[in-house]
Parts: sequence; C-alpha cells; structure tokens
Amino acid sequence: MKDTNMTTTPRYSTRLSRRAFLGAMVTGAGLIGLPFSLRAAPGATGPAIAFDGDALILAQDTLSRSDGDGGWIELSAPAVGSILSLATHPGRPGRIAAGLAGGGIALSEDGGHRWEARSQGLPDAPAAAVTVAAAEPDTIYAAIRGDGLWKSEDAGRSWALAMDRPWLADAERDLTALASVDLATGMGGIWIYAGTELGLTRVPDCFCRWQDVQPGDAMDALASGKPAPSEAPLPEGETINGLVSAPSLPTRLYAALPSGIWESQDAGVVWSQKLNTRALAVAVHPTNADHVVAITRDGLVESRDGGANWTALGRA
Amino acid sequence: MRRNVILLSAIAVSALAAIAASAQLQGGDVRAQDVTFLGQPVTSEQIALGQKVYGEYCASCHGVNLEGQPDWKRRLENGRMPAPPHDESGHTWHHSDQDLFAITKLGVGGVVPGYESDMLAFGEILSDEEIAAVLAFIKSTWPERQRDVQARITAKEGGGS
Ligand code: HEC
Repeated sequence: MKDTNMTTTPRYSTRLSRRAFLGAMVTGAGLIGLPFSLRAAPGATGPAIAFDGDALILAQDTLSRSDGDGGWIELSAPAVGSILSLATHPGRPGRIAAGLAGGGIALSEDGGHRWEARSQGLPDAPAAAVTVAAAEPDTIYAAIRGDGLWKSEDAGRSWALAMDRPWLADAERDLTALASVDLATGMGGIWIYAGTELGLTRVPDCFCRWQDVQPGDAMDALASGKPAPSEAPLPEGETINGLVSAPSLPTRLYAALPSGIWESQDAGVVWSQKLNTRALAVAVHPTNADHVVAITRDGLVESRDGGANWTALGRA
Repeated sequence: MRRNVILLSAIAVSALAAIAASAQLQGGDVRAQDVTFLGQPVTSEQIALGQKVYGEYCASCHGVNLEGQPDWKRRLENGRMPAPPHDESGHTWHHSDQDLFAITKLGVGGVVPGYESDMLAFGEILSDEEIAAVLAFIKSTWPERQRDVQARITAKEGGGS
C-alpha cells in the first residue's frame, strides 16, 4: 500500500493551498468518499514492522506480535483505522506508535494490545511515517502525506508543525520513511533522516532546512589535505519504503527499497546492498545493530549478522 | 568543497578582526548585556550599529520585530523557504557564531553547498564589521536560555547548516 501509493505523489495543485485542500476534504467527508478511509475500520494494512524489546510487532494485513519463540499472536488493531507505519523506542518498552492510513497516530502502552488515538492537532491525512526521537523518548515525529513533518513532545497528546516537506527535483515530496538518528548535527541536536519517493534526505532537529546527507568529516578531511571521503549513495530516484538507525549504533542504517535491503555503516554516506528482493519495511533490534528484520516481496526475513545472511521468519 | 573550507576559515579570521577592530575603536571594555560574538565581548555601540543595519538590510524579509515572514514554516510557491524569525521562535540560535557569519556573508549556500534560497549573500553589500554588528544585535535580543544554548553550540565549533 505504502509502496504503490507513494510512487505517484499527488501535487495538490499549486493554486489551491494545502490547508484549503485539507479543509475541503474534511468538510466534504460527509458527502463524498475520501481517498483514504476515515471510518472506524479495524485492521492493519501495513506493511510495517518494529521491535519492542526482543519482540516484533508486525502490521501486514493484520496486526500481530511475536515474543521470540517463533509464534505470533494476533493483536486487536487500533479501532481508528489501519496502520501505515510503526515506531518504538528502547527507553519506553511496550510503547508503540502507529501512523494511521485514515489520519493521525495511535499509541499503545502495553505492547500493542490496547490502542488510543493521539491525533489532536494533526491534519486529517495519512501518517505515512513515524519515528520516536532517539534522545527524547516522549518526542514523536510524524510525516503527514500532502502536508509535512509534525512533532509532539508529549507522546502524541499535542502536535505542532515542525517543517514543510522537502523540495526535490522541482517539487515538494512526501516523506515515505523517517528515522531519528542519534548523531550530533553541530546545531545542538541530532538528525532526522527521511525517505522520499526520490531517495534520502535529512533535517537537523532544529528544523533549519532539508539537506543531502554528506560525509561528516568532509570539511576536516579537506582542510587537512586528505583525500575526500568516498561516497556511495543509494540508487538514484528510488522510493525509500523503510528506514531505521540502530539505537545501539546510530551510524548503522538500514533502508528498504524496491531494489532490496541496503545498509550503511557511516550514517548514510556509503551504502551497500544486502538483499536484492523488493523490500517494503525494515526494523533493527534495540541493542543489537546486526539483528535486522524486513518485510519483502518474499515474506518476512531476518538477519543476525548485519544483512550478510538472511533466513525466512515463519509466521504461523 | 575545498574552496568552501578555505573561504570559511578566511571568514572566521576576518570576522574576528572586524570584532577586534571595532572593540578597540570603542575603547574595548564596554559590555552590552553579556553578548559575545566569536568569543569577543560586544559593545553597545556595535549593537546600535547592528540595529541600524538590521532595519535597513534585514527587516524587509526577517521582520521589523525579528518575527520572520508570515507562515514561515511553509514553503513558497517557488519551492523556497520564507525568511525565518531571528527571535527565539526561529532557529537562528541553533547556529554557531561562525555559521551565522558565513550564512550572512555568503548566503545559506555558504554552509549547505548548492542550497537554493532567497537569503542574500551580504558579502558585497555589508562590511565584515557590519555583519558582525547585525548578528551581535540579533543575539542581544535573545532570552538567556537561547543565548546559553547558542553559546554552547559556538563553543563546540558546531559546523552546522
Ligand atoms: C530578500 C529577503 C532577505 C533579506 C533582505 C535577508 N534575509 Fe536572511 N534569510 C532569508 C531567507 C528566505 C532565509 C531562509 C533560507 C532558507 O532556509 O531557505 C534566510 C535565512 C537567514 C539566516 C539563517 C537562519 C537559520 O536559522 O537558518 C540568517 C542567519 C539570516 N538569514 C540573516 C540575515 C541578516 C543578518 C540579514 C540582514 C543583513 C538578512 N538575513 C536579510 C531572506 C532574507
């Protein structure tokens, strides 16, 4: 769903303002069908995946949880609608934030059993991506389709616009993935990396501006006369379906792309392909940066060695 | 990239020189509300000069009261960002003194290579002394918290964008 919807970003008219558009959609909701459901329809479309401690939370058709023994239990998905994205934080075990297709965020504090809407102040549009700030576990970021990046500092109880969408190749682009990356920006905070339909971008958490990923030591290397650091970006123009930074080793990133799973060991400057099966979502273990799971075209797969070897993860 | 590095260090040096020169001009020791720029205390004369420069060269975009353009978090139709506030509601205080100087002298492209924006490069328009003064004025308007955070960022040599 994420995958297909993302490839064509609706350019909601340059004349009609974003707010007017959303407003019109909301007022029209009673009369005409919306492009996405605002009805209370239980279910979890996904695909999205996240670790909650050692456990896995999976939103794919339904919402389920596996506590490590290989078995899966079905969870009751948030009644507010189907899930597009999931995020957790090692400092808040049991808390799961879910971005909803029908708009807004749902939060569970008990490992995904019970859910509560946390959408106050958010625009009524799909929350395509969500991430929890690595350094502040009560700060949640949500990427709202057709709108921008929103921030909550109170675990979703209230929201404020942080930043408009990035401008890439002459248009504003929706965010398709979000990852808080616990590395200093030099501006008193850390980075937020984001995927778009055209690849990777990032913004410092002061929200000064969207910018490309660049080698952190590029300036130093140049000043000291050393050769410029090598770069190996992700394939150009590919949609980023999923993106994570390992909490235990923030320079370690994994990205889920149509071309497969990619890994970076230097916060996104040099990437290497670890799997060449179409990938829809990816998650990394909170304390083991080599332990990664991904939803691919061929099903759920897992690697315990940083993506060198993969095994199918059975889902009963 | 290489050009940029050299340019940036040259800028830091010239900014320091500008500050030192005007501090001497004022007879050195006049402290204006504990504001420093690139480690040097700022005088009330510098702040007065900065306020004048701000009114003439910055207020048209960044607002007479440093409030920024309306709806400044939303992109303009041409894809560029509006001018952000320079008061504590914006993000100017997240940049080190050196970066603020570079941005004002070279435009945002001075810290993010290739970045397109409506922010002017004031290198041809204002002297280094005037640039230092206008930034000192902006800094003098910040509440203590923002000033402290920005001082820590400056002390850490934050190279930021
Ligand atoms: C023509 C309009 C215009 C004028 C005049 C102008 N600016 Fe800007 N300025 C901008 C815009 C637009 C931005 C935001 C650029 C971006 O992020 O794309 C900006 C950004 C900045 C920033 C970076 C803020 C941050 O936190 O990233 C600084 C510093 C700055 N301006 C200083 C000044 C100073 C000092 C003056 C007066 C000497 C000035 N500007 C005059 C339009 C202007």
